[in-house]
Amino acid sequence: MSPPNSDLRLRIVELVCSGGGGHIPSSFSIIDILDCVYSKYIRPHGCDLQEESNYTFTLSKGHAACALYSVLHKYGYLTSADLETYLQYSSILGGHPDSTKVPGAEASTGSLGHGLPFTVGRALAAKIAGSDKVFFVLVGDGECHEGTIWESAIVANNLNLSNLILLVDNNKSSDQICPHHSLHEQFAAFGWYCLEADGHDPNQIAAAIQNAVESDTSKPRVIVFDTIKGYGVPMLEGHGPWHYKIPNIEELAIIREALSS
Amino acid sequence: MSGSVLDMKAAFPKAIETVGRLSDKIVVVVGDIGHFALQGFAKDNPNRYYNLGILEPTLVSVCAGISKEGFYPIGHTIAPFITERSLEQIKLDFCYQALGGNLITVGSAFDYSTLGCTHHCYTDLCLVGAYPNTEVCYPSSPNELVSLMVQKYNSKCLTYYRMSRASHGENFENVEFGKNILVKSGESITLLASGPQLKTALELAEALEQDGQTADVLYCHTYKPFDEISVQTSVAKTGRLFVIEEHIYNGGLASLALRCTRNIPSLRFDYHCIPDTFIRNYGSYTNIAEGLGFTAKSLLPKVAALV
Repeated sequence: MSPPNSDLRLRIVELVCSGGGGHIPSSFSIIDILDCVYSKYIRPHGCDLQEESNYTFTLSKGHAACALYSVLHKYGYLTSADLETYLQYSSILGGHPDSTKVPGAEASTGSLGHGLPFTVGRALAAKIAGSDKVFFVLVGDGECHEGTIWESAIVANNLNLSNLILLVDNNKSSDQICPHHSLHEQFAAFGWYCLEADGHDPNQIAAAIQNAVESDTSKPRVIVFDTIKGYGVPMLEGHGPWHYKIPNIEELAIIREALSS
Repeated sequence: MSGSVLDMKAAFPKAIETVGRLSDKIVVVVGDIGHFALQGFAKDNPNRYYNLGILEPTLVSVCAGISKEGFYPIGHTIAPFITERSLEQIKLDFCYQALGGNLITVGSAFDYSTLGCTHHCYTDLCLVGAYPNTEVCYPSSPNELVSLMVQKYNSKCLTYYRMSRASHGENFENVEFGKNILVKSGESITLLASGPQLKTALELAEALEQDGQTADVLYCHTYKPFDEISVQTSVAKTGRLFVIEEHIYNGGLASLALRCTRNIPSLRFDYHCIPDTFIRNYGSYTNIAEGLGFTAKSLLPKVAALV
């Protein structure tokens, strides 16, 4: 049985193959979360970009750019012609998202630990303005080694940024290096409203995000998603050489087969 | 000078209160520095004042995020922590994304004279100015600070203000961002100074006058954009240039001035900056300044050799 969002997963692989670079497993681990955020909150009525959204999404783990590009294409921000230029000299699409070029990219990220504090500033500004905007930002569990994540956790809690929803892609990259005790317990200890969900089950993802959006807590919210790097294609899953590897023709056939079965 | 129009310690809160009235989009964010001094603004504007805590990289990113939403952030803490520690946040979150904002620091050069290397900062003007979409200034009197902030608080660039503790002693009324001030006119040499070292430059000019020489004394409060024309005009007249600044040579005033005057025929040039070594002494600001040779007496032979 093929995984959810097989079309988006295949788009990610095609991007990496055409451009000659990119992080497939890191993109696969977040793609189901991104599709839920865009389909239910940012573009619930389709691809009409004239419609103002009350929600924004920032990809802090910028190396998963291909997941963002695939979703931005699906929801009308990027054209197929844009995707065809990925990683080319004059392209708007690089290995990391660039807010100065990419429609729908809310921040230029790639150096880990920037997206969350940047979004904390935006959420604070929205509170000052009396706006009801809501800010999603996605970080990886490996990224949670960065000190700015925890600096931001302190600040967001202290400022009661209830309009901030942090999505943690817990694909266990950190376990290879320096495991976290428990990201859920760590954010709870910092005063956040914490949720957990399976990051590849569309129903669980939607329910957790809805809970985070609709909760009346005054606190910032975090959902720690249990994810698998490379989820959906067994050959790509886990931590190893596929972190940054371009499939050859035979491997591409295996990936296509896994995504279509 | 405490309590006078040249008291730099009192200048910052007064400047924030003055500039803060210009727009309700100004948001002040401090890293637990200046918190008590800024209580006047904080009490009048509780929704526009935040003491985030001691987390400077996040402070810079938060300010960039505030800017992204259309506000004018003013971030404030000690110079090395906002520039050297948080340089990547300045580069990526502000400069690359072309977001405007204001970072105002205390702890210029060796102002924290007893606290050692951790609290010294003599690379900041170069570091911040190295990135596109930045403006860099160095106000050393209260009027300058207010005047520069009034002109730039809503700039499209990131504006960095290195605020010195010591004033140079002049009370400039009209300061134009990006324009040097000709403090004194002469013929024999151009003395170009920034920060409190304007005072030293004026003392040098007086000393030269005793030998029948006269100096143009130019004061630079804005490093970027640098006012090349005033320097070129003066040096074209004098043919001699001496630069004094509390910063390293690289990317500092001396290198900026030399770059714009290098084609002036028969230019004679020298400078006095912080040397290529760490400052390891303590004592007062004056003790360290004297130890580094920032006095008219110790600089006079170098200057006299040029004229």
